Amino acid sequence: MATYEARSEVTGSVWKVVCEVGQRLEPGDTVMIIESMKMEIPVIAEDGGVVKQILVEKGTPVTENQPVAILEVE
Amino acid sequence: MNPSDKPQSPFDRLMDDYEARVAKATAMGGPEKLARRKAAGVLNARERIAYLCDSGTFIESGLFGTSSSNPADRDRSPADGKVAGFGKVGGRETAVVANDFTVMGASSSSTNGRKIAHLKRVACQRGLPMVFLGESSGARLPDHMGSRGMGTLLGNDGAQYLRLRETPWASATLGPSYGSSSWYAVLSDFSVMRKGAVLAVSSSLLASLAIKEKIDPEDLGGWRLHAEVTGFADVVTESDEEALDAIKTFLGYMPAHCNEAPPERSVPAGSGEAMRDILGLLPASRTQVYDVRKIVRAIVDKDSFFEVKARFGKVAVTGLARLAGRSVGIVANNPLVKGGALDSDACDKITSFLVLCDSFNIPIIMFVDNPGFVIGTDAERKGAPGKIMNFMNALALVTVPKLSVILRKSYGQAYLNMGGGRNSDEVAAWPTAEVSFMDPQFAVQVVHAIEPGQPEFDEALARMNRDSEVWEMASVYAVQAVIRPRETRDYLIRMLDVHRLRMTNGVGQHLMRAWPTSY
Repeated sequence: MATYEARSEVTGSVWKVVCEVGQRLEPGDTVMIIESMKMEIPVIAEDGGVVKQILVEKGTPVTENQPVAILEVE
Repeated sequence: MNPSDKPQSPFDRLMDDYEARVAKATAMGGPEKLARRKAAGVLNARERIAYLCDSGTFIESGLFGTSSSNPADRDRSPADGKVAGFGKVGGRETAVVANDFTVMGASSSSTNGRKIAHLKRVACQRGLPMVFLGESSGARLPDHMGSRGMGTLLGNDGAQYLRLRETPWASATLGPSYGSSSWYAVLSDFSVMRKGAVLAVSSSLLASLAIKEKIDPEDLGGWRLHAEVTGFADVVTESDEEALDAIKTFLGYMPAHCNEAPPERSVPAGSGEAMRDILGLLPASRTQVYDVRKIVRAIVDKDSFFEVKARFGKVAVTGLARLAGRSVGIVANNPLVKGGALDSDACDKITSFLVLCDSFNIPIIMFVDNPGFVIGTDAERKGAPGKIMNFMNALALVTVPKLSVILRKSYGQAYLNMGGGRNSDEVAAWPTAEVSFMDPQFAVQVVHAIEPGQPEFDEALARMNRDSEVWEMASVYAVQAVIRPRETRDYLIRMLDVHRLRMTNGVGQHLMRAWPTSY
């Protein structure tokens, strides 16, 4: 088992977390949505996997490339 | 008469010698090295050429060339490590150089340098696409060592690395590629990389010696670096065969040379079928994002979209496609990534794509939906003003037809860069388009100094939103048409026909033929 970090690609704030710890995501699924530039920018689980940890909550300011969740893949 | 009784021709011995020489030259680096490659699932140089070229069409140039600097190398340098010649790719004559890593690491030498120079000269003068299949250890040593070696082997061809884009060049990096093998990859109009290959100035061994630190070849020049950071890799593949297929696909969109229009294909059945539901691909909310590639695929001929640099500058999408069987270049903002806000990498990516399309007479179609350029300290450190103006300058130098369709947002300077106003031959907009100097949400705060929550904010925002709708722009003829989204494909096909370069048989002016090949 290996883990990887899902990262925000933009600076903004967490608008909505759309997954839960323990949830299995498919590659390309949305982990959470960041509000930036008045847009809703998704954080994508590139390789899918099981959500092990969510590192932010609604309203948390995030910077570009900041890890926001940890996922585990086989 | 029994055949064995046939009198010997005076030339038999000569022809036997000829056949023996052919066998030796085509044996490459010997059965052991070839077996090791086969076991690793990697094609050898001659297999690569056979896969690339139409069956039986390859005619070799320089089969009997060998190393010439060091007499001791003559017998161990069949074809001097670079197999060169002419083959038909997709039915069209093409010049091909394939590095044979089993022969002295396909290192660059005097003889094989002359082979490459000849192939390039013929390709550029006679109008043939050029293909490089790279896998090389770099300059041959010790041949290049010392001032005599340097003086003898290097710098004798002032046009060695000249690019004037007379014909399309495609390259594949199919193993360790250092020195000239890397140079030809980045000089090419299209560069595909097979996973596991390395493209770098010099090997990790030499780099480790120079900086006294062990370097992983993947970090030095692996596919991730070139697909995501440098943008040198247009496409990444899992296998040699897929890489060669990618070259064939790329060349299929290209003319053989800059003085002819690209080839036309029949229109696949089912093209345009997705247009009925195209508006369903756009989110109902203006703040939500979507993948613009779905819209592109719905509009162009079925299965014709061939994306390049998909992992680099991802806020923009660039790719070749066909509309009604004719090659087009697609430039699109992708709101899925960072809302589509244009950054420095995207500027470089689009600029190089404009140069490619204009150089080879491929009309350009832009799909616009972006909130502007990325701003901030990081963007400035990356030289954003210079990148934005390079992009703008390239767009102004385009002489092939360029059409722009505003799908949704088009703000500020990015409006111009994405073909707004007279920066396209035709600008069309969907009724969903909104155009202004900046997003109304910000504009209310900047123009009226009203913050969200203040009593006048909502009214001012509603007014700004109305002013940003496309109808005002249409009323002053700054867009030539507001179109129903489902009619976009038909509109573009018609406008490409209207703007076809009839006076020059589809050939543009190529004002960017000497534009840099990378950034």
